[in-house]
Amino acid sequence: MRSRASMFGGIAAIAATFVVFVIPFLFIILMAFKDKQQSALRDFSWPNGFHLFDNLYEVIKTRNWMMITAFINSSLITVVSVTLLIVLAAMVGFVLARRKTRWNGLIEFLILAGLMIPPAVVPTIWLLQGLKLFGTLHGMILIQVAYNLPFSIILYRAFIATIPRELDEAAVIDGARPLDVFFRIILPLLWPVTVTNIVVQSVGIFNDFTNPLYYLPGNQNATVQLTLYNFQSQFSTAYNLLFTNILLITIPPLIVFMFFNRQIVAGMTAGAVKG
Amino acid sequence: MAGLELKNIQKTYGKVEVIKGVDLSIEDGEFVVFVGPSGCGKSTLLRMIAGLEDITGGELYIGDKLCNAVEPRDRSIAMVFQSYALYPHMTVYDNVGFGLKLAKTPKDVRDQKIREAARILKMEHLLDRKPGQLSGGQRQRVAIGRAIVRKPEVFLFDEPLSNLDAALRVDTRMEIAKLHADLGATMIYVTHDQVEAMTLADKIVVLDAGVVQQVGSPIELYQRPTNLFVAGFIGSPKMNFVEVTVEATDGDTVTVSSKDVASLRVPATSAGAKVGDKLTLGIRPHDLVPDNNGAIVGRVSLVERLGNETIVNLELSSGAAWLAVLEGDQPLRVGESLALAAEPAKAILFDKDGKSLLAPLS
Repeated sequence: MRSRASMFGGIAAIAATFVVFVIPFLFIILMAFKDKQQSALRDFSWPNGFHLFDNLYEVIKTRNWMMITAFINSSLITVVSVTLLIVLAAMVGFVLARRKTRWNGLIEFLILAGLMIPPAVVPTIWLLQGLKLFGTLHGMILIQVAYNLPFSIILYRAFIATIPRELDEAAVIDGARPLDVFFRIILPLLWPVTVTNIVVQSVGIFNDFTNPLYYLPGNQNATVQLTLYNFQSQFSTAYNLLFTNILLITIPPLIVFMFFNRQIVAGMTAGAVKG
Repeated sequence: MAGLELKNIQKTYGKVEVIKGVDLSIEDGEFVVFVGPSGCGKSTLLRMIAGLEDITGGELYIGDKLCNAVEPRDRSIAMVFQSYALYPHMTVYDNVGFGLKLAKTPKDVRDQKIREAARILKMEHLLDRKPGQLSGGQRQRVAIGRAIVRKPEVFLFDEPLSNLDAALRVDTRMEIAKLHADLGATMIYVTHDQVEAMTLADKIVVLDAGVVQQVGSPIELYQRPTNLFVAGFIGSPKMNFVEVTVEATDGDTVTVSSKDVASLRVPATSAGAKVGDKLTLGIRPHDLVPDNNGAIVGRVSLVERLGNETIVNLELSSGAAWLAVLEGDQPLRVGESLALAAEPAKAILFDKDGKSLLAPLS
């Protein structure tokens, strides 16, 4: 009886997942094959002809090949900010776990505050303008690092506490300087959490729509999510092109997920329980 | 090669004094063992020598160099940790070679040194494995390999055998002794196991509550402890103690007696002892022999027959619990009365401050 109940549960879960995740994705794919008239109907009909390549060409060359620029920008922002995030978050986690000072409580409060308090857009823009970073890629990278740092630190910190202190000490005796200890001993041991960080943060940053919209104006600064606006406006929307665009920009996160998929859950729970 | 000199070394954590002024000189090539009960500060002292803990007060010289503020990497020391502390993500080869790599030793020299260390420790076949694939004894070997490959002047061992099983512990102990003989380097070894201390050491330092109680060769500590703590700590089973009263003094012997012990003439300096004084008498369990006219009479409360010897728990008339280790197999029964004679020459008297009243060596 019990196994039958769990089987029904499993089937229900699969069905729900199919409805929530797979059907919308199939809809995107179908739409990307349609021409403009058919796609305007927004139904689940089979495409009348094969228009995928026409749509792709149209999407990529729109507004002076904006899609290419957007892909370059987004990749650059994602790679650099995720790299910075991993190094900085692991460093903060390392110091917090190893060095007990009276400031630790305050620092932990600030980390939690960073996670809970929503960032204010206008003062941030004002600050960026003052620093001459507004509307530049490196300004955007710094914003992404700052916004996502607390979450990464929290992922790392619990795990670092489980790495025995003797390892650091053995390395120090072996002649390691602080940076050697961090980069040669601690960081390699953090790999499971680093994978989780890479996946979660790179998908988040690559798919980010609002922050580039606020902080990164200008055609030459477009990121992939902003290219969606090329085909959607108040009075007319080219649904076939919009969905082709969606299909295109979904591919990179999908690849990252498929690549690291198995290791994500391990990293999420690593360090939570001492094992 | 280098000796060490500790001058009034102190360590405090906040207001807690952990090491209360240790003076110690260790000669080049000596094997020194720090022993003491848990929390006596022996590991802290070792970690201060290693440079892992700051020195609050006093001076530490390694060789002729004042090392208080010198980084661990510049002290020419190597340390073996209780938990081995091998780097889990590196192979044995890289673990052993890590220090050399940091010192930017050329690759061919490094390779040669790693292989030589592996040969000395007979672990050439393990070089490609990761620590997770090794047994406890093999990990210990790698940890020692990591220490010897750098040819340090001083080796520091922090309870290196406590995670091994009994048989392996004996083997590794012998290997460490052999290593010391082969390398001739200064070694400092921390343990709470007095068998390790007695078998390995040239010199034992007994610590209690952050104070050095006695420094000396193993046999010296066994035969001539300076105080009650050392007498009770060194030797297994533990020395028996009983309170006695001085009956007579005579130059270099003191005659004592109590409710439990009929009068016993013990060689001791009589300088501080007057008739009627209360002293503590210490007799090792091995120095007691069954004798119907013996000075010590008690009731047998437990018998452990090991074949080659018999360990007897006795309850004396004052209620004190004593141990006696008797030669051979003794068919004693619980509840029986047993009279024991003690060899007075091996008994030790302690004054009321716990200081031993040993007669000067003739």
